[in-house]
Amino acid sequence: MRKLLYNQKLAPYLFVLPFLLTVAVFWLFPLVRSFIMSTQEIIYGQAEFLGFANYERLWRDRVFWKALWNSLRYMLLTLVLLVPIPMILASVINSKVGSERIKGFFKASMFVPALTSVVVAGIVFRLMFSETSSGMMNQIIEFFGFGPVRWLREDLTGLFALLVIALWRWTGVNTMYFLAGLQAIPQDYYEAASIDGASKIKQFFHITVPNLKPTIVYVVTISVYGGLAMFLESFMLYAGNMSPNNQGLTIVGYLYRKGIQENDLGFASAVGVVLLVIVLAINITQLVATGTFKKERTR
Amino acid sequence: MNRRRLTASVLAASLALGGLAACGGGGDSAEPAVNEDGSTDVTMWVFAEVHADFYDAMAASWNEANPDRKINLEMIVYPYEEMHNKLQVAVNAGEGLPDVVDIEVNKFANFVLGSNPPLLDLTSAAEPYRADIVEARLDLYSKDDKIYGYPTHVGAFVAFYNEELLSAQGIDYKTIVTWDDFRAAGQKYNQATGKAFGLAETGVTFVEPLITAQFGGEWIADDGETIDVDNAETLEALTLLQNMQTDGAISTIAGGSPDAEEAYGMINNGDYAAIVYPAWYTSRYVDYMPDLAGKVAIAPAPVTANAAVETIGGGGTGTAVTRTSPVADFAAEWLAYAKLSPEANVAVWEELGFDPVNMSVWEDEAVTHNPDNKYNQYFTTNLFDVLNGVKDGIGHWQSFSSPNWPPVDNLFRTVTLNELFEEKKPAQDVITQAQADLQNELGQ
Amino acid sequence: MSTNTATKPTPAKPGPMTSEPVRSEDRVKPMGARVGGWIMAIFLIVIAIIALTPIVMIFLGTFQDGGELIRNGIGFNIDFSAFSIANYEMLFTDSGNYFRWFLNTFFLTVVQVTLTLLVSSFVAYGLAMYEFKGKTATFLAVIILMTVPFEMLMLPLYVQINDMGLADTYAVIILPFLAQAVTIFFFRQYFIGIPKELLEAGRVDGVSEFGIFFRLILPIAKPALAAMAILNGMTSWNNFLWPLLVLVTPEKFTLPIGLNTLLTPHGNNYELLIIGAFFSLIPILILFLAFQKYFIEGMTAGAVKG
Repeated sequence: MRKLLYNQKLAPYLFVLPFLLTVAVFWLFPLVRSFIMSTQEIIYGQAEFLGFANYERLWRDRVFWKALWNSLRYMLLTLVLLVPIPMILASVINSKVGSERIKGFFKASMFVPALTSVVVAGIVFRLMFSETSSGMMNQIIEFFGFGPVRWLREDLTGLFALLVIALWRWTGVNTMYFLAGLQAIPQDYYEAASIDGASKIKQFFHITVPNLKPTIVYVVTISVYGGLAMFLESFMLYAGNMSPNNQGLTIVGYLYRKGIQENDLGFASAVGVVLLVIVLAINITQLVATGTFKKERTR
Repeated sequence: MNRRRLTASVLAASLALGGLAACGGGGDSAEPAVNEDGSTDVTMWVFAEVHADFYDAMAASWNEANPDRKINLEMIVYPYEEMHNKLQVAVNAGEGLPDVVDIEVNKFANFVLGSNPPLLDLTSAAEPYRADIVEARLDLYSKDDKIYGYPTHVGAFVAFYNEELLSAQGIDYKTIVTWDDFRAAGQKYNQATGKAFGLAETGVTFVEPLITAQFGGEWIADDGETIDVDNAETLEALTLLQNMQTDGAISTIAGGSPDAEEAYGMINNGDYAAIVYPAWYTSRYVDYMPDLAGKVAIAPAPVTANAAVETIGGGGTGTAVTRTSPVADFAAEWLAYAKLSPEANVAVWEELGFDPVNMSVWEDEAVTHNPDNKYNQYFTTNLFDVLNGVKDGIGHWQSFSSPNWPPVDNLFRTVTLNELFEEKKPAQDVITQAQADLQNELGQ
Repeated sequence: MSTNTATKPTPAKPGPMTSEPVRSEDRVKPMGARVGGWIMAIFLIVIAIIALTPIVMIFLGTFQDGGELIRNGIGFNIDFSAFSIANYEMLFTDSGNYFRWFLNTFFLTVVQVTLTLLVSSFVAYGLAMYEFKGKTATFLAVIILMTVPFEMLMLPLYVQINDMGLADTYAVIILPFLAQAVTIFFFRQYFIGIPKELLEAGRVDGVSEFGIFFRLILPIAKPALAAMAILNGMTSWNNFLWPLLVLVTPEKFTLPIGLNTLLTPHGNNYELLIIGAFFSLIPILILFLAFQKYFIEGMTAGAVKG
């Protein structure tokens, strides 16, 4: 035992062992089993081999395509919102103008939504997006002279509600990401540009954005994953996994519905495999396109 | 951090984890749980708080009648979805099952799949009461002539009219007999007030089966499995509903059904004047719409011309005993008493406000016209007068008890009815699409 | 264009992201900057108020009738005269399993965080400080871990634990999440910045390899531990889908699962839903106010890995 603790050759393996065990038991094994299950039909625990029948069914399944489309559009729109807006906010905070105390208050307040669990957020937003005229969102738009909206019963307004939750929860965190990135940019770049007579806006696009690239890549990567795997926001907003015309149904929601609510484990596993393929494909494409892999190798 | 403290905390953590594993193992009840005093422990899962109260009351009255064989009922109330999901898990794993469980009718078929379902055959336990029970409701939870669940209520469709609102527009609800009458009354009401009359449900599948049944149709063929939603009767029924919507006689509602929180508020505010729904909806009025007390009349549900059946039962909960329960036989006996006996059925009406399945109760004037009953006090007409008027016309709609009903119901209440009433697609297109979707899903 | 400046593996100290940039020009400000400062202040305050509104609304909701709130929604027209503390009385006298859920969640979070930090810092340390066969493969495993959605593994894992009779145990809630890619990256980055001479010095003094880790390295890594404790603590405190599948007994529920069960028209529990939701935020808000710096660092950990 003593020897073991002192052995420099052995030590790294001991350090890595618990990790490898967890990964093998809780990731690798289920991953393989997921592929196997996706070729089976399972009733009360009895499996029967089906080949690719689940995938064929999936291909012709209108609801699956709807769920996929919902997840994709949500993911894309969160990217559109949650990269530029936080970047601009971060630049504003990072500028020399304004009082530090107000900026401190701002940063703290923007962080509070991220601390709020999705369950609680979902409950509150569901009530704020109530379609009665006494709901907050309807009161706001009525103030501007529009009639009450049936927020969670219409496709686009329901999507809007989901995006508002995403924006509310993640703007603060993403702003901090960008702020960290901004503060790592040496000030002399800007000073040199100012001497050359570049305007603030020009500086933003020619110095700030390129230097923020690693942060942008990171935010995009986690947003792609987060967007495609979104479930709980919709589950809480619609108080369950059933939404009108499946407008709030996501891939994970469909996987949950098929696998857990309808006990069709084989088919649901096929949904899971498709989800994996999509997430991997998008992320790898993105990382290759931005050159992140190359950098990792040369380091 | 010094070493001793760290070792201690690692130790504590691993101990805690070990403790976690240990404290999670319980829950399987292999030994028959007859206690020293002769009482038997029975675990039960339900998905509604009011059901739990009802069963507690029935356990108490059983214990009064059987002091030597008392039941010790341990009730767990889960939310609707969670309970059925957890039951599914337990059935798959073959352990962690309760002894007795409430299963909602739209989920019931999931638990009687295959030739060896995980539920106990309750046919013989039902024998003492069977003559008085509405047979159609037992059929709902039967498979291959074996009863696997006991019904809670008939759930016969009736109409609830807000008398005050209707008479203000000169409409007498008593004149509404057919759907055409309903449509005309609704149109008149809607044009005069600008408010909704009846409602088009998008989140539940109730009125559509009712009207299809009245036209003599089904959604699942006679073999009990083949999907057949694309047929003339269904088309006729859905077209009728769509036309009523166009005329303003029915409108969609927040929450998709009258049985949702938002909807209670709106109906209570008088935003909707006429609800066609199963009789158990009485309890929702009394519990959630206090402002309408003394204003709502119960009447027979509208019918089609030459209706094949006047009404059917809608919704419901089948209470089942799990086959592997160590106390299965005792539980079955208690359950038959708790759900089928006349005593139980009086309680079903008095506590829950549902239309009981034991018909002997329907004729007991002392019960049905009891002036102290809160339901009798709330409504301007008596539920049983209405029910007795249609009792020979209550049909059993086969599709409800098909093993393929859950996917059909699912599709209708998420997609099909939305396409029909929100997107206003032509009824024929909607059912053609539904037929194709279901065939793909079920591999037919 | 030099992307390298930001990505270079700088020893991750609490770092540039939280320390306020030092300013020298605060004394004398030109007129334009002052107006700009005001505009910006108003802009930032308005956004901050919007961000806080939902939290304030749920706080106000704790004084209102739960059923009404569910029926009518949360809005601006609040009847303050109808406020009562009945919900608070109910919370502390008759809230069923609520505080049980609270304790369960707290307990699970503490155990989860302790074990995750241990496993993750172990592997990060191994990767950062040693050369060994299979190092690249292990590092690759960490990367793959990051891209496989857990939701996909959920179903087979769930079948597996049911087969093993482990449903409804806390162990299966914790174990799948012991290896956290972001945490591992963060620790690795931190450890790489520590000079290897420290290890050598320890070895010369006759300290074992694990002794070096626990007695020399971990004390230096306290800020990293704090940040990661908070990141993982948040994740664990809010974990939903997996516990929802695993847990059966209501007494074992966690807060998110328990709160979700209250969102049903058949339970008559809406008061508890609202006040319970609000109270579930309090521990985190208090911790946040006390350890703001570590929170921000923990949550933004991934972005600075470069």
